[in-house]
Amino acid sequence: MNSKWIIVIVILAILVVGIILVALYYGTYNSLVGLETNVDKQWAQVEQELQRRYDLIPRVVNASKLYINYEGSILQNVTELRSQWAAAMQSGDVSAINDATGELDSAVSRLLVVIENYPELKASQVVEDLIVELEGTENRISTERMRYNEAVGDYNQARRVFPANMWAAGWGFEARTYFEAKVGAEEPPPVNID
Amino acid sequence: MLSIPRKVFFPFLLVMILAAFVGTIPSAVPPVKGQVISDEWRTSLEAYLLEVDRNTTAEIVIYILDSLYGNGIMKDGTEINDIVQLGVYIFNELPLDTPSGSVVGIGKKGKDNGVLVLVAMEEREWRIEVGYGLEGYITDVESKRIAEDYLVPNFQEGLYGEGLSDTVVALAQEIPNVDSTEQMPTRGRYVYDNADPLNDEEIPWWVIALVVIFVIVLISFGGRLGGSRGRGWGSGGRGGGRSGGGGGGGGRSGGGGSGGKW
Repeated sequence: MNSKWIIVIVILAILVVGIILVALYYGTYNSLVGLETNVDKQWAQVEQELQRRYDLIPRVVNASKLYINYEGSILQNVTELRSQWAAAMQSGDVSAINDATGELDSAVSRLLVVIENYPELKASQVVEDLIVELEGTENRISTERMRYNEAVGDYNQARRVFPANMWAAGWGFEARTYFEAKVGAEEPPPVNID
Repeated sequence: MLSIPRKVFFPFLLVMILAAFVGTIPSAVPPVKGQVISDEWRTSLEAYLLEVDRNTTAEIVIYILDSLYGNGIMKDGTEINDIVQLGVYIFNELPLDTPSGSVVGIGKKGKDNGVLVLVAMEEREWRIEVGYGLEGYITDVESKRIAEDYLVPNFQEGLYGEGLSDTVVALAQEIPNVDSTEQMPTRGRYVYDNADPLNDEEIPWWVIALVVIFVIVLISFGGRLGGSRGRGWGSGGRGGGRSGGGGGGGGRSGGGGSGGKW
């Protein structure tokens, strides 16, 4: 009688613990999948805005060429960094993308400041509209980049906490890198524009 | 013996809950105080923007800050002082009071058809933040032109009501109407005025303390009357994120739009 009950209780306990473990296992897996998907979705947003900037730069450069001497100028600098950025994106290497984007970031900021100081340039309606578009694009890039970094932060943290930390590596969930604007050593610090 | 602790416990619990509400609301929703636009303008703007919401389902929200500094809008423990970041935060993350409770996100969920017109009086800065769903109808360049044609000249003259009114009318004209089958619940509130030309009239702490004591006394004495506990003081809906209610909200933006000074 008594021992029978004990066996029943032990079996029940094992079952309950087993069910909890299985639920925990799949629950953790699913939540990591969700968070990683979010990181990828947010990266796509960042990429889209970076592409928007990539498409916009030649138009800005062409419209400004009439007013700014092209050779050796900020315009040429921006054009070169734009190509470097495209090459980095092609390579798919995260740190190369980070660096190239950071350099293009600061070049675009400087371009915006330079144009601000050219009254003839500002007088051109075409250039002014392009500048508004470029500013909007820069704001979008920083917004989406911030959200991407938040998504990476959530995902990386979820990977590190118990019990996910025991399984994440085995499931193939790797830590993701933040997308930070890194400015190259020889570059001047980015100009802060309002 | 048992009745005494119970009598004390429930009012105490209620007061604690009340206190928790009083403590959390200001951090999430900065107090709306003072006014930049007259009551008449406010009423007419609210009426017009409700009409726009009905016809287009788009939500155009006006948010007036007295300054970029000391605005009380915090993210991760620090105040946001940049007008672009403020715009993105107010648009997407700040709970805003509406008749159907506190709502996060301007524009309808899924349609992302919100527009935020944000002005900072002290710095004389404006920003128009356009939701994802309207970026095709209101481009950055169009938003800039609208602000420079309507907002800037009026604001320079101190005609704030006129400036905001002309601006939102011009913005609304860019947004297509939907037919009646597509209508959605309206947001119900569109103007948030946080600027403070008058002296601020915050409730002093001792008034709150008196009210709390009054509530304790009231509950302790009225505890025996049936049903008095069921009467709610707080509206409840303010605590967390998005309200499930019938109002609008839930739209998203990503830094689109334009900004400038007047």
